[in-house]
Amino acid sequence: MSKPVLEHSTSRGKIVQLIQKTMKMLLLWLGLTGLIGIATESAWAHGERSQEPYLRTRTVQYYDVHYDKQSVKVNEEFTLIGRFRLMEDWPDAVSLPDTVFLSAYSPGPMITRVESYLNGMPARQSFSKLELGRDYEFKLVMKGRVPGRHHIHPLLSIHGSGPLVGPGQWIEVTGAKGDYVQKVTTMNGIEVDNLEFYGTARALKWYAVWLALAAFWLLFWLVRPLLLPRWIALNKGREDVLISNRDITVGVILGVVVVAISFGGYMYAKHEYPYVVPLQAGTNKVDPLPKPAHSVDVKVLKASYDVPGRAMHVTARMTNHGTEAVSILEFATANLRFVNTQAPGADKAISADYPRDLVARGGLGLSDQKPLMPGETREIKFEASDALWEVERLVSFLTDVDSKFGGLLFFVDKSGNRLMTEVGGPILPTFTAL
Amino acid sequence: MNTETLQHPQGAAAGQTHAHDTVESVSGLSPKALHYSRVFELFVVAAIIMLFAGAIHLHVLLLAGDWDMFLDWKDRQYWPLLSPVVMIMFPAALQGIFWTYFRLPIGATVGATCLMVAVSISRPASFMWWTDYPLNLVLPAQMIAGAIVLDVFLLVFRNALFTAIFGGFAFAFLFYPSNYTIFAPFYVPVSHQGMMASMADLIGYVYPRSATPEYIRIIERGTLRTFGDSASWVSALFGGFICIFMHYAWWYLGIAMSSMKFLPNNAKVMALMGTKADVKASA
Repeated sequence: MSKPVLEHSTSRGKIVQLIQKTMKMLLLWLGLTGLIGIATESAWAHGERSQEPYLRTRTVQYYDVHYDKQSVKVNEEFTLIGRFRLMEDWPDAVSLPDTVFLSAYSPGPMITRVESYLNGMPARQSFSKLELGRDYEFKLVMKGRVPGRHHIHPLLSIHGSGPLVGPGQWIEVTGAKGDYVQKVTTMNGIEVDNLEFYGTARALKWYAVWLALAAFWLLFWLVRPLLLPRWIALNKGREDVLISNRDITVGVILGVVVVAISFGGYMYAKHEYPYVVPLQAGTNKVDPLPKPAHSVDVKVLKASYDVPGRAMHVTARMTNHGTEAVSILEFATANLRFVNTQAPGADKAISADYPRDLVARGGLGLSDQKPLMPGETREIKFEASDALWEVERLVSFLTDVDSKFGGLLFFVDKSGNRLMTEVGGPILPTFTAL
Repeated sequence: MNTETLQHPQGAAAGQTHAHDTVESVSGLSPKALHYSRVFELFVVAAIIMLFAGAIHLHVLLLAGDWDMFLDWKDRQYWPLLSPVVMIMFPAALQGIFWTYFRLPIGATVGATCLMVAVSISRPASFMWWTDYPLNLVLPAQMIAGAIVLDVFLLVFRNALFTAIFGGFAFAFLFYPSNYTIFAPFYVPVSHQGMMASMADLIGYVYPRSATPEYIRIIERGTLRTFGDSASWVSALFGGFICIFMHYAWWYLGIAMSSMKFLPNNAKVMALMGTKADVKASA
């Protein structure tokens, strides 16, 4: 008699030990999960620095980007305007801008989109066939929704290549999230108080109806012996006791009810919403901005990047085709701005709302500050030197399969008119100071 | 444990049938054994809900993806076609298992309900509470209507082939009308920036999804739009046709996956598994 009791108590002890171990593991898992949750901070940016340099320096060059506000209340609108140049020397590895979508990069819907335009055309849908070497102007009207400090960028998504972001600015949203309202009036006169909750209650009610029907059908079978007795009976060849005529009757009635609700509900919805439209698809065409009347031709003769000095040196032959003498004002690439502080109007080159973390403190150094006269051709060296090359992770272009650089060179005449020229070409790394 | 105590007192034997036989009496299990069986069933039900809620949810996420995820993907063409074709797979497999081993016509409903439970947790948790998107942007489709009818067809026909032909077709064909009642308000037209949009388009536009540009939507493409208003029904019919084959294939896949197969424990297999020296070499 003692042996079975001993076995019984031993097995019970093992079960208790197993439960205790499982509980400990569960507690450990919960603890670790909680610790990770506490230790993890919200993402502050979007990994824009992780994009390869050739994507940022040789595809979309944003310029003249302005944020009209840097602090808004919930429901308050702010506008983001700017321009971008699609670089002529587009990398082979990047899909051409045949299908693009203009948007704003934000950490989720902390802000909402009110309106967006590309060259004045509504940009709710995508655009097709944007042209390389041409400029486009964008406007994004956004609205504060979730309080907090959010990093917002203009964004151009290119089909096959992904998102290419412009300069990001911190936008402070204040107030209470619960106050956010998005009123809409439909074309057939339905007044929607808040788009946030539109149609949700109706959907939840219908889910409840279907779940109730499913619960009825499942409970109808679950209240009876479910697995082992049925399996034994089936193996004994007694299928007759497993499904009765009553089961079939209930099933058929339920099936009819389900079909009736499905089609009845469909007919009722058709009656309730007689005017409906399909989802709107397709792309729009937009013409680029007109080409400027005069320009300065720039031919890069030599370009190098001084790795320890964190400086880009470019020697270029420049020809002024305009009627006014011009000075080099700024070199811009990948949203970084190197301004020649000795050029006329240099103090106004960077607007107050431009992100300061993208402006090079060292500015732009020139071998020759003398203005380029109309019709004159001259060889000029410029140096864009700053730790930003490293901070923005733009130096890894030296490991690209085609070691090239790209950017925009801005000139200014004595009247303050700006001219812009695309520059780029092969670049040579230098691993010691020049 | 004394196995004799698990026998039913009347001990119904194979071949002996009585008018008032029940599942319990035919099984031959004693009340105590039936009690243990019931407790075991509770654990199985809990395990099935957790396992299949996760599995079906993942499966639908991977294969139906954005069509089930986002409101502005639920178009007239692809949504009524792709969603039921993807969603019938697990319910068909579960139906095969439950019917073959237990004669329970609930497999499809179990699968559909598990998916509904999973999305009822994941959509609010992932989108509404975690990332601040409104719930209406990510309302899921339901397939319970089609699943119940699929189970009823099995109950009536008691045959996998006929269930696939009629039930599989009905599963997909009911998907569109039974979900239209939920999503109809989102197809009303609105004017935005001088262009017409559906309410679903507008909701998708207002709440930015940075990594989901508009052009990524695979909606309303192809010549099916020439059918005009009836495009959804053509899609639903074609979805039904595909679901016939999908159901039949996954029914048997479910049975195969729930069967145990053993490798023969001979010298060749042991050599193959590396637990014994090569047969030829040792010979």
